[in-house]
Amino acid sequence: MFRKTVPNVVSGSGTGATTGTDIADGASAYARVYLRVDSAERSVEEWQHVAGCRAWLLVDRNPSTGLVRSVALVGDAP
Amino acid sequence: MKRASRHYSAWSLLRARLSGAGFWRPLWTGHHLQQAYDVVVVGAGGHGLATAYHLAKDHGIKRVAVLEKRLVGYGNVGRNTTIVRSNYLLPENHYFYEDALRRYEGLGRELNYNIMYSPRGVVDIALSDDDFPVLARRGNALRLAGIDAELMDRAALEKFVPALAPRRRRRFPIVGALVQHRGGTVRHDAVAWGYARAATALGVDIIEDCEVMGLHTTGNSATAVQTSQGEVQAGAIVFATAGHTGLIGKMLGVPLPIETHLLQAMVTEPVKPLLDTVLVYVAPGHAESYISQSDRGGMVLGGHIDGFPSYTREGAWHRLEDVVQATVEVLPQLGQLRLLRHWAGTNDMTMDGSPIIDRVKYDNVFLNAGWCYGGFKAIPASGAACASLVAKGTPPDLIRAYRLSRFASGHLLDEPGYGPYPVKL
Repeated sequence: MFRKTVPNVVSGSGTGATTGTDIADGASAYARVYLRVDSAERSVEEWQHVAGCRAWLLVDRNPSTGLVRSVALVGDAP
Repeated sequence: MKRASRHYSAWSLLRARLSGAGFWRPLWTGHHLQQAYDVVVVGAGGHGLATAYHLAKDHGIKRVAVLEKRLVGYGNVGRNTTIVRSNYLLPENHYFYEDALRRYEGLGRELNYNIMYSPRGVVDIALSDDDFPVLARRGNALRLAGIDAELMDRAALEKFVPALAPRRRRRFPIVGALVQHRGGTVRHDAVAWGYARAATALGVDIIEDCEVMGLHTTGNSATAVQTSQGEVQAGAIVFATAGHTGLIGKMLGVPLPIETHLLQAMVTEPVKPLLDTVLVYVAPGHAESYISQSDRGGMVLGGHIDGFPSYTREGAWHRLEDVVQATVEVLPQLGQLRLLRHWAGTNDMTMDGSPIIDRVKYDNVFLNAGWCYGGFKAIPASGAACASLVAKGTPPDLIRAYRLSRFASGHLLDEPGYGPYPVKL
């Protein structure tokens, strides 16, 4: 059973990429913490496998159908 | 030609009995989409219909259209568990929801439509001695604001809710509760239909099967909406689309502090009257369940949101299991019942758990959204306040705190206490 957690912020272009990793940059930190570009077709999220290996996974899902497009360990090169 | 719905009264009942068929008229009749309106409200849910009603009634704005992608009341106003209450901790919230509750008390009369307001009490159950200071703190905040709250010990609670009385080994002991007696239930569909009927009686157009797909703008103002039935000019536009506001943000090109999550609800088979109040059972870190009994006898159940972004409106198994488990923990006598119906709705989960009623991007475009799982109980106050914002251009004091800029400025209303997340992690 997965533990659900904060999805990647999809800001601006809606491609699923995080932008602005510099904490000192207030505007992008605000965007990263609070803003979302919602998509009914694509949601890129971080999940943790709490009932098992406790690994963090980057999951690319379709939130309207539940279809999982891809799963990768967070930290693996994209 | 529109023929207004009949006024409901004992006299009209008598006339109907003496007349032939066709005395009663439809609640609202077909409306023709006009080319231009003073205000276009997007979404014929509770908030959209209430806003349109108050625009016409309080501000005399005659040319108002409510454009609905599907049907009146198809969304969350018809999917909730009907609970109304105002027992929120933060002043910015409890004054607002109290305004809504007071309006609910008189709404049936105001709309001339039976909304079945039942002040049967809302009972926040305490599951340990440690819960009492937390509940007492909220109760005191409510009392200071002039809102009713009573802290009950176990004996008083068992007297108030006989269904809880049998002492048995429970997973968590029931030691007392915080009770709001004026809270309770309201028939959700009746709210939608009552506002639709009252709004159309004041000249508001309701157009179903009309999806808003885009905006026409000039400079800093919107001039029209592009719909599936053509272009409609608008002096002002209100998006009352809670459940889809994330997609509206995408349409406007404005990222919003909203994530869309599912909330499930379910009803059991009908049984004889067992529970005449609303029970709120929250076992932290475990499961939660909201339980009430409808007038038809079914137990209406709900719980926490599913916990991950979704538009499926189907609900995931883990949460259904949680709600049923919590329900049977607090009322074991329900364990034999079958679930008759199960559904879900999409919720605008904001990053602080509190709503957004504010201008967005353009000077004549407004958002009435971000209701998380607390939209139904807010409808009358939201409609009145949002109408005031749109008509006058500035928000009334009651909703000043619900501005969109609060996320950037740090004035968050963290009612649930989760931090800057849409869901408890």
